[in-house]
Amino acid sequence: MTHLRDKYCIVGIGETEYSRGSGRTTRAMAVEAVRTAMRDAGLGPADVDGMMSYQNGDSTPANWVAPDLGIRLDFYMDVLGGGSSTEALIGLAMGAIEAGMCRTVAIFRSMNGYSEVRIGGTGARAAQPVRGLDLAQVPFGMRSAGQNFAPTFMRHMYEYGTTSAQVARVRVAHSRHASQNPKALLKERVTVTDVVGSRWIVKPLHLLDCCLETDNATCLIVTSAERARDLRHRPVYVMGVAGRVSKPRTDFHWAHGPITRVAGWHARDIVFGQAGITPADVDATGSYDAFTFTTMLQLEEYGFCEKGEGGAYVSSGAIDLGGARPNNTSGGHLCEGYTHGMSMVIENVRQLRGTVDDYCPGWAEGAHTYDYAPGRCRQVEDVEITMNLGWAVPSTGSALILRR
Amino acid sequence: MPEPVQYRGMTLLVPDNESEWREFYAHARAHRLVVRKCAACGLLRYPPSHACPWCVDLGWTWQEVSGRGTIYSYEIVVHAIQPGFKELAPYPVVLVELDEQRGRPTPDEALRVIGDLVTPDLRPAAEADVAIGRRVRVIFQDLAEHLALPQFTLTDEPPAGRVWRLPE
Repeated sequence: MTHLRDKYCIVGIGETEYSRGSGRTTRAMAVEAVRTAMRDAGLGPADVDGMMSYQNGDSTPANWVAPDLGIRLDFYMDVLGGGSSTEALIGLAMGAIEAGMCRTVAIFRSMNGYSEVRIGGTGARAAQPVRGLDLAQVPFGMRSAGQNFAPTFMRHMYEYGTTSAQVARVRVAHSRHASQNPKALLKERVTVTDVVGSRWIVKPLHLLDCCLETDNATCLIVTSAERARDLRHRPVYVMGVAGRVSKPRTDFHWAHGPITRVAGWHARDIVFGQAGITPADVDATGSYDAFTFTTMLQLEEYGFCEKGEGGAYVSSGAIDLGGARPNNTSGGHLCEGYTHGMSMVIENVRQLRGTVDDYCPGWAEGAHTYDYAPGRCRQVEDVEITMNLGWAVPSTGSALILRR
Repeated sequence: MPEPVQYRGMTLLVPDNESEWREFYAHARAHRLVVRKCAACGLLRYPPSHACPWCVDLGWTWQEVSGRGTIYSYEIVVHAIQPGFKELAPYPVVLVELDEQRGRPTPDEALRVIGDLVTPDLRPAAEADVAIGRRVRVIFQDLAEHLALPQFTLTDEPPAGRVWRLPE
């Protein structure tokens, strides 16, 4: 199935500041992010006729955002979802355009994930009544993402000998990348000792194994390759997409093992099949880093290393800038800011354009030094193909392969 | 409709039309751990669900299980999120593989249940005692007339397979 390969493009990207206190509504932030993406693409209000977003009752729908920008929509849809929605919505936007429902779709995510509805599960989320399937876990003091995911990593340590120090190298790499990113919330480089010496949150996860909580909005604009040719930037083509692929028994994924296998194992044939490439062809990855080990698990599952060797792979230097296949060159959710996946796709679009916004004086014109010392460059040299590995939970994930 | 149950700052809602959980908790209050058994293929499943995930039959009966099993994985919550759990931290949460139906219908499948690992008086078990491979049995924490939570406590049976815990 390759019939949509290279027929759709990402033509615009936009984001607000990443902060811990935006001081404004998700509507205000969404409007800014969509407007920035439209300007980035060179599109006016009459050129955008589709809009999609995702949220968990913590944001503003598309039909409240579009009017502020003078946009009348031929198609809009707001879906429930968090991580892994980004890639899925890109695929759905392609489908909507392919079906003739609209021509150009802006996809946004806007959240006060620190100041309003804490993504980590404290505050309003901890006080919600417990009913239905939540009764299988929440009454036992297992509510936050870290608490939901930790037994998966613990079992991986048992089965494969993976260590805390190995996955700490994910944080180390992403912190180095963030030090090259003026937008990143945490720009300080950390060491393995810093990570394994940070306080425990839920064993086997330390504080620095966990991502940030952030206020921000982000936007991507999808249109046909034909339409993309006239726009401002070199188009970035979608080679393949897999959206919200699940393991069996998503009601209680612990029932269907191995529990160390995550959804990417089911998604990889879909996305690589569409793209007609193998992992060896991918130059950079964006693997969802809600936690250090989620990046590791997904890199394994998509075949960037053998199953069980993810600890060795992420600690080999391969995922660092300057390594064989850098991961999350923006610093990702661990260091740049938390966006439920959008920012990792935005970063890969920037990489493929060759205009990563680092500290190189000529970055906007694509003039990079490829000097990865602190406070310098984060552009990957000669990057042709990138991949995003989106994560919701161990049992649900998405994937996206882009090329320049 | 039964009153919502308040437990550690949480409101547990099990209304009369809660077709999956209401009877499960009534059995638990009588200190029986039950799962659903498919009327057609006989396979057991947890949590309670409406159809059989293997043969898609809608018929089922409650089947009592032994409540004995092995710790398959676990975590130690050090930084509690829910306010009512802060006084318990650090507390272990365990994924228990029950003895019934291990490796069926496929080798990686099993009846697995989440619970807290507790002492016989329902306090969090000591972290040093928690390990993959250790044997446990169910113990019930009565919360209301119509509801008890199944929890797990260690037994003195020999471990099943390799015993492993997170290195200090």
